Amino acid sequence: MIGSGPIVIGQACEFDYSGSQACKALKEEGYYTILVNSNPATIMTDPGLANVTYIEPLNIEVLTKIIAKERPDAILPTLGGQTGLNLVFFLMQTGVLKKYGVESIGSSVEAIACAEDRELFKQAMQEIGVAMPKSGIATTLKAGMKIGLEMGFPLILRPAYCLGGNGGGIAYNQEELEILLTQGIETSPVHQVLVEQSVLGWKEIEFEVMRDCADNVIIVTSMENVDPMGVHTGDSIVVAPAQTLTPEEYNNFTFLCKKIIRKINISGGGANIQFAQNPDDGKIVIIEVNPRLSRSSALASKATGFPIARVATKLAVGLTLPEVMNQVTSKTTSFFEPTVDYCVFKICRFTFEKFPYAPRVLNTSMKAVGEAMSIGRNFKEALQKGMRSIEIKRFGFGADGEDKITDAELKNPEPLLLQEIKDKVRIPNDERLFYLRYALKAGLSIDEIYSLSRIDRWFLDNLKQLVELEEKIKEFRNAKEEDELKIPLELLAQAKVDGFSDHQIAFLLQTKEAKVRQLRKKSSLKAAYKLVDTCGGEFNAKRPYFYSTQETKDEARVSKNKKVVILGGGPNRIGQGIEFDYCCCHAAYALKEEGVDSIMVNCNPETVSTDYDTSDRLYFEPLTFEDIMNIIELEKPLGVIVQFGGQTPINLAVALRQAGVNILGTSSESIDIAEDRKRFKQLINKLGLLQPNSGTVFTFAEALKVAREIGYPVLVRPSYVLGGRAMEIVYEEDLLERFIKEAAEVSGEHPILIDKFLEDAIEVDVDLIGDGETFVIGGILEHIEQAGVHSGDAAMTLPTYTLSPDILKKIREASYSLAKELHIVGLMNIQYAVKDAKVYILEVNPRASRTVPLVSKVIGVPLAKLATKIMLGKSLKDLGFTEEVIPQYVAVKESVFPFNRFPGVDVMLGPEMKSTGEVMGIDLDFSSAYIKSQLAAGQKVPKKGNVFISVHDRDKRDVVFIAKKLKDLGFHLFASSGTASVLEKNNIPVKVLPKISEGRPNILDLMKDGKIQMVINTPSGRIPREDEVKIRSQVIIYNIPYTTTIFGAQATVNGIETYLKKDLGIKSLQEYHKIKTKKVK
Amino acid sequence: MKAIIYLEDGKSFNAQSSMDTERLGEVIINTAVVGYQEMITDPANAGKILVLTYPLIGNYGIAAQFSESAKIWVSALAVKEKSRIYSHWQAKESLDTFLKKGATPIIYNLDTRSLTVYLRDNGPLVGIISTQEFETKKLADKINKFKKQPAKSLFPEVSVKKVKISSKIKGVTIAVLDLGLTQGLIKQLESLNFKLNIFPYYASGKEILAVKPKGLIISNGPENDPYLNTLAENISPLIGKLPILGVASGCQVLALALGAKLARLKFGHRGVNYPIARPGTFKGEITAQNHEYVIANNSLRKIKDLKVTAYNLNDHTIEEIESKKLKLIGVQYNPVTTGFCGVNEVLIKFSKLVKPAFRRAER
Repeated sequence: MIGSGPIVIGQACEFDYSGSQACKALKEEGYYTILVNSNPATIMTDPGLANVTYIEPLNIEVLTKIIAKERPDAILPTLGGQTGLNLVFFLMQTGVLKKYGVESIGSSVEAIACAEDRELFKQAMQEIGVAMPKSGIATTLKAGMKIGLEMGFPLILRPAYCLGGNGGGIAYNQEELEILLTQGIETSPVHQVLVEQSVLGWKEIEFEVMRDCADNVIIVTSMENVDPMGVHTGDSIVVAPAQTLTPEEYNNFTFLCKKIIRKINISGGGANIQFAQNPDDGKIVIIEVNPRLSRSSALASKATGFPIARVATKLAVGLTLPEVMNQVTSKTTSFFEPTVDYCVFKICRFTFEKFPYAPRVLNTSMKAVGEAMSIGRNFKEALQKGMRSIEIKRFGFGADGEDKITDAELKNPEPLLLQEIKDKVRIPNDERLFYLRYALKAGLSIDEIYSLSRIDRWFLDNLKQLVELEEKIKEFRNAKEEDELKIPLELLAQAKVDGFSDHQIAFLLQTKEAKVRQLRKKSSLKAAYKLVDTCGGEFNAKRPYFYSTQETKDEARVSKNKKVVILGGGPNRIGQGIEFDYCCCHAAYALKEEGVDSIMVNCNPETVSTDYDTSDRLYFEPLTFEDIMNIIELEKPLGVIVQFGGQTPINLAVALRQAGVNILGTSSESIDIAEDRKRFKQLINKLGLLQPNSGTVFTFAEALKVAREIGYPVLVRPSYVLGGRAMEIVYEEDLLERFIKEAAEVSGEHPILIDKFLEDAIEVDVDLIGDGETFVIGGILEHIEQAGVHSGDAAMTLPTYTLSPDILKKIREASYSLAKELHIVGLMNIQYAVKDAKVYILEVNPRASRTVPLVSKVIGVPLAKLATKIMLGKSLKDLGFTEEVIPQYVAVKESVFPFNRFPGVDVMLGPEMKSTGEVMGIDLDFSSAYIKSQLAAGQKVPKKGNVFISVHDRDKRDVVFIAKKLKDLGFHLFASSGTASVLEKNNIPVKVLPKISEGRPNILDLMKDGKIQMVINTPSGRIPREDEVKIRSQVIIYNIPYTTTIFGAQATVNGIETYLKKDLGIKSLQEYHKIKTKKVK
Repeated sequence: MKAIIYLEDGKSFNAQSSMDTERLGEVIINTAVVGYQEMITDPANAGKILVLTYPLIGNYGIAAQFSESAKIWVSALAVKEKSRIYSHWQAKESLDTFLKKGATPIIYNLDTRSLTVYLRDNGPLVGIISTQEFETKKLADKINKFKKQPAKSLFPEVSVKKVKISSKIKGVTIAVLDLGLTQGLIKQLESLNFKLNIFPYYASGKEILAVKPKGLIISNGPENDPYLNTLAENISPLIGKLPILGVASGCQVLALALGAKLARLKFGHRGVNYPIARPGTFKGEITAQNHEYVIANNSLRKIKDLKVTAYNLNDHTIEEIESKKLKLIGVQYNPVTTGFCGVNEVLIKFSKLVKPAFRRAER
């Protein structure tokens, strides 16, 4: 089995979900499974899931070695996203599969080619008479331009064998066409781009289809994109099932689906088929077929309860649909088309705020980093729950006190405002839903909004109903907050039916949320739970999951067992992703082992935690106080675990405790000490530890004072945030004001923190586990980049590679004294900076960190599982984990970044986290592990060729040695004039390139011509030079390996040396775990 | 206004209605997501209170060409939420307007999920929908009175009054016994180039043979009709004389004519997602079904030359029977799909019995 590698935009943890299901399904059938995935944060790479687990780079070279060693009978390419599919295709092309007699199951190589190769696909569709938009295929810029200009604009470009619309886009003019063609041809691994006539504004409809080797076909579900064609389906708001199709259209679609899956000849698996339909005459064209498990199939699985990945795997090994039981009903087989009696809503999480220079628009190249799914008995309820689920601090469809444009402004909108609203409704963007509300409030008609947005009138009318209801509720607004509520109960009930949260109702009535909650409870307007059972209630399902709604009968199945609620992490975002889902799943597994019922609450459809069989009961719900309390009041668990879902549940801990909920593990008091800067400072002083000088401020004037006292550079950051949001290093006073303002926006009512920034310090991450008395370090990870790069973005190594025993001793002592003082029960993460032989504490997180899965896998100890058992009362001694494990091999974590999705964005790293995912390189020595991590992260590490070097003054000493080594390894060097003069003085021959504005050929020309194989460019300061930005954004377009830190460059060059001198070996995780480890008490 | 749905065993659910009404009937549940227009105009649902499990109904409105017959047959429609607007390029009016024209009530804001689960566990049940009477005793009386009425055949209402012949087609003549024939079946048969002679339900074997048909189709229609046995007697002389296809309740007539017995399911098969499987193979089919009676399995044993050719994969009830010798096929499922996706396999099979040289036209 091939996994999908690191989390990137377009390929997220849905493939961990499908891969884990596949591992389990294969095990059930008695197969010996060998798994390869470079992503250490996944559940699938847990050593127990497959028989043999390789965490190695996903490339042909490595896979060939693994195939040669393990000699599998078959390879399953359909569970690993586009990555898995492409790898198998290239393994076939290079003859590896044939040489070792490996059969591709699930999707034959021919089927993959037929669906992915634009030419073959077009031909196949023509043969079965399925219409396609007019298109031409280009492999060169010239040919593409010709096709495009003949067809006319706008045009859609789709590179072959690409993921999430990567490298594609919409071209409205000749210039854009040229850019997109260049990019597309480069991005496509076969250098092929489809130039397609646009069907912008048509309905986008998708189907999940499965077929077995006996030619049985089922349609799992339909899905309708609320955003019409032009927005990538991964970015669109999606509903399931489709809401605006007639039975005739449904049948036409399913007929085409069957024809297509037969033609492409998927004979044991599933496919996702996307169509566009003209809303004016019903004409259908096919857009795309994915002959594999996909993000949509994960969504379809969670939306219907039908485990597509599990079934697909069983079909791949030759079972038929009637032979595979439906475990949710346990009364039907998988040869049964699921039906639903609810509406499913999917909405995406974007992170444009992380990339302020990227245009905030949506198009055919996917930009979302995560998604949430919500379920309601009507569209309105599902939508409001969805808006709460994506955790953008909104509590529904506006009307929650967070609206950018006020009702007063919308009453008689200024022409300028009206224009803004119209533009935001017309051009797809991440805030469009809110602007639709503004448009309705500003009095635009449904027809007008339709003609701007082409969003179906049915959806628009539902939005309008919400706006009308909001107005009705507002009529009962209190004059003063203390007043009694006047809202009639029927209206309150209606508001709940249509998904209004207590928070929204409280805002509209000008009262407190608690008061609304009280009134509801008094009037028995309580949430009822209904089932996702695959069959619309026709069978009494054995293993359903639950969603809340407002109905007469509660179908919840509360058990009398001991039980614990696990709060999940919600939608993936930068800073909070699969790592936390891994921990939540482990909590569920641990509870099972301890005989305690696990109750999972989460709303992320991509995850393993929301799989029907991960927990005893799954509530598919938003993670807000109201929604969680409803479940807690119903289930009455003995406690709630908030440590594992990342920052989301931690932020709720205090409110939950105040409501009388028992927080398991580290007390919420300790959580507060760790999160509250002032209290934390006191703690540090008490323990006699070091912290960079710092201050807490609310205003700019205070900030100015504090910064002067501390001395520049300073680190400015808001409190209570995730992933270093709005965090900046400020070198001079001139820039302070701007960053304070940004931080204040994010921080809200919480203070802003100003810390002394320790330049050139080494950062260290420690993961620790404790039972309140005994504390054990899980791992000490040393950052490779210098301080200032967010720990989520930095490359790290376990064990450490440059720290002296003395420093390590200091780190251990500090860690244990902090853990003891905070009475850590469960997991804790501490970040240190080491400078001038001093150890400074930067941050303490009293929760599972991003590195827990990696550390667990490297040391072979399931930390999250142990932590859960501790929370239930076990001690570390009981669990047999009392000594820190120092592995005798090296693991390097490297991050991957979404820069290719945000054209023009600077790739330099800073204190604000930008990476979406991670990979791990593991080997017996550091350089091999490091180079593996670079390969796994997708860097085309060169073995020869030209390297361009241009570094900041302070790096010029260090770069000499790097350059020297590169020269010795046979590389040719190019440099900017400043860097070149330093190198020349050191007798290193180098070619000087002119500044971009001063002459040609310059570095951009060389990159364009493919003459540069690697770029080393460290930024010259916070406000980078224009040239640097151009260079760094161009490395993304041409996919040239680059490093932006001097330490990264050192490690890379050492790695290249290793890479040149010896063949990189492969070893499974299970083999590593057999190597004897060193232990430290 | 406020409405109630009260079941014969005393269970009731609240809802709302936009018109003053009182209706009685057996409460049936359909799990299909779309197809409300087809369902309410299908004569097979005549007199039923139809509950749809999918909660959002009316979204794509009504277009005349999708009606299965000329009128609405259900006694009432019960849904969770009816759409305020309709949105589709083919739609000409809203579901509300259509129902109003057909004087058929719709109740909404009903917890259809709870009602479904209740009927699944306690059904089948007769119910009353009312906006006038909320007193349970009186509602119970009304149901009792309704149940005591002598069973009345629905065939006189749903069947053609006299023989109707498809005008435009010059192909092979086949007879269709109309027990509540749907447009969907007519369209499919005509697309196979059959010239249809549609007979009223009471037609005798002799009358049918008189037009020299190459085959006979007994259409679908209401189940458990008091006239069923008479129908079976009427057609039994035709068995062995010409190829016969019985569809849904038409299949039940055929089975009765062969001497089989029927049994009632606790919870009917009503939806579009029912798997059928063929004995001894891995190959099956997903079918649309709308039946609550099935051929009793043990009653088939004594019947010679008849085979079960498909059964329901969920509960293993009989979905298709065939006699090669007698050239008979009976299907419990609905071999009809709307749209251009064409003709069901079973109709192809029947065509081959009618004209052995039949070859499926390229579509």
